[in-house]
Amino acid sequence: MSLAEFMGPLLTGALITIQLTVMAALFGGILAILAGVAKMYGNAAVRAFASVYVEVFRGTSALVQLFWFFFALPLIGIQLTAMAAGVVVLALNLGAYGAEVVRGAVKAVPKGQWEACLALNMTRVQALRHVVLPQALVAMLPPASNLVIELLKNTALVSLITIPEITFQAQTLRAATLQTTAIFSLVLLIYFLIAMVLVYGFRRLEANLSQGLHLGRAH
Amino acid sequence: MPAPGITATAGPSPHFVLICKALLNLGLFALLLGCSGCVRASDESTLEKILRTGVARVGYANEAPYAYMDSDQRRLTGEAPEIARIILKRMGVQRVEGVLLTEFGTLIPGLKARRFDLIAAGMYITPPRARQVAFSNPTYAIGEALIVARDNPLQLHSYTDVVENPEARLGVAAGAIQRRYAKELGVPDSRLVVFPDAPSALAGVGAGRVDAYAATSLTAGDLLRRTSSVAVELAEPFENPVINGKPAVGYGAFAFHKDDHDLVATFNHHLAEFIGTPEHLELIESFGFSEATLPGDVTAAELSREVSP
Repeated sequence: MSLAEFMGPLLTGALITIQLTVMAALFGGILAILAGVAKMYGNAAVRAFASVYVEVFRGTSALVQLFWFFFALPLIGIQLTAMAAGVVVLALNLGAYGAEVVRGAVKAVPKGQWEACLALNMTRVQALRHVVLPQALVAMLPPASNLVIELLKNTALVSLITIPEITFQAQTLRAATLQTTAIFSLVLLIYFLIAMVLVYGFRRLEANLSQGLHLGRAH
Repeated sequence: MPAPGITATAGPSPHFVLICKALLNLGLFALLLGCSGCVRASDESTLEKILRTGVARVGYANEAPYAYMDSDQRRLTGEAPEIARIILKRMGVQRVEGVLLTEFGTLIPGLKARRFDLIAAGMYITPPRARQVAFSNPTYAIGEALIVARDNPLQLHSYTDVVENPEARLGVAAGAIQRRYAKELGVPDSRLVVFPDAPSALAGVGAGRVDAYAATSLTAGDLLRRTSSVAVELAEPFENPVINGKPAVGYGAFAFHKDDHDLVATFNHHLAEFIGTPEHLELIESFGFSEATLPGDVTAAELSREVSP
């Protein structure tokens, strides 16, 4: 088999890799904001719940979590499809790491902003939603792009639970042709290209969201 | 900007609102996943299920010639899937669907989690595995081999040679039986390297990461036939290891969930009528098996029995 013939299966796999990355980034992003905000502003029970979630998922191996969701959960009667198990584990991990990024970014918004909101008679929820989070969002983007690129590469883990993403396709091709070097070189290149697109996307997003923001910021 | 609250703390506590929203979102998220991802387990037995649907899902780990995807990635083939197709057809199951696990070691957990109905990967029957799964009677019996660098620089012709040479590092594939052989014959852990799969182990010998890769004679022969590398070769002659006083001959079989007694019994019944027939021999010939690899009349029950060390 030649390089050109490898491309078909590898690109099919790359599509699934992109799908996994996008879905996990969406769910994980929502989880990160929920958990980050809950850790700061929740009551004791919510704070404890959010902390347990963050520490459990940061503190255990994603690979083992994946095996557990795929091979152990069915033994207690919960049968997630491979794709669902993959997205859930990736999103829960991203959410756990992301929660700290969210917390840091919200903390970094100057206190004066909160005071100004109070002066305008806004509730804390309103202040958070309309004033603080939009500013924090911009500060979150650089570390978030880091996390999402890491997520992209972590999707390779789900090759172990029968999802035919790019690493899985590479392993299959390798078993059939034994051309390890050529196949893995191509895979590295494809991951790199996807990562570059992500980097570019985050840069654009950051440029768009921060428009006009510096004008209103107290220095 | 509108300022609807009379004071910042009027109305329900903002914490409370936020928490409610968060919980609601989490709940919706869980519900969404639950609906899309859950498959309810039923009381129907696996045999009843595959007869009703006409489809059996077989787990395999992409190891030629036992079970693998052919090189155009069109069709699951190999000794085990081809035999499974015939036996299942005779039972009334028309279609076989492959579930590919990239690691041999995850086949048994996958079967126990009912990710598929049986394992068709030419898996050896061993007592530890038989504690986890139910085996059919064997379909083949084969011995061992070593793959070494060209000209066999360390002159390794048996496991004993590996044990006795303090320089020799032995590679095995994860989950494969050779790791147990190596341990029982005294290869120290420090000189035992576990690779995730057979192609990696082969590449390991080529790259000098290990001095020999232990595999079944069929796996070894097949890998060497397909590789373009001239840096590796079969260790010849090779002295087959003896484990607990018995030659290390592996008996490969299909594996089923422990609860599926009726399925195993029916499968074995049809298997007995097929193994050793000219049709069987013709089917397995292209995979490198032959009359010499027929299992004889050894049963799964005998091979599953624990031997006291």
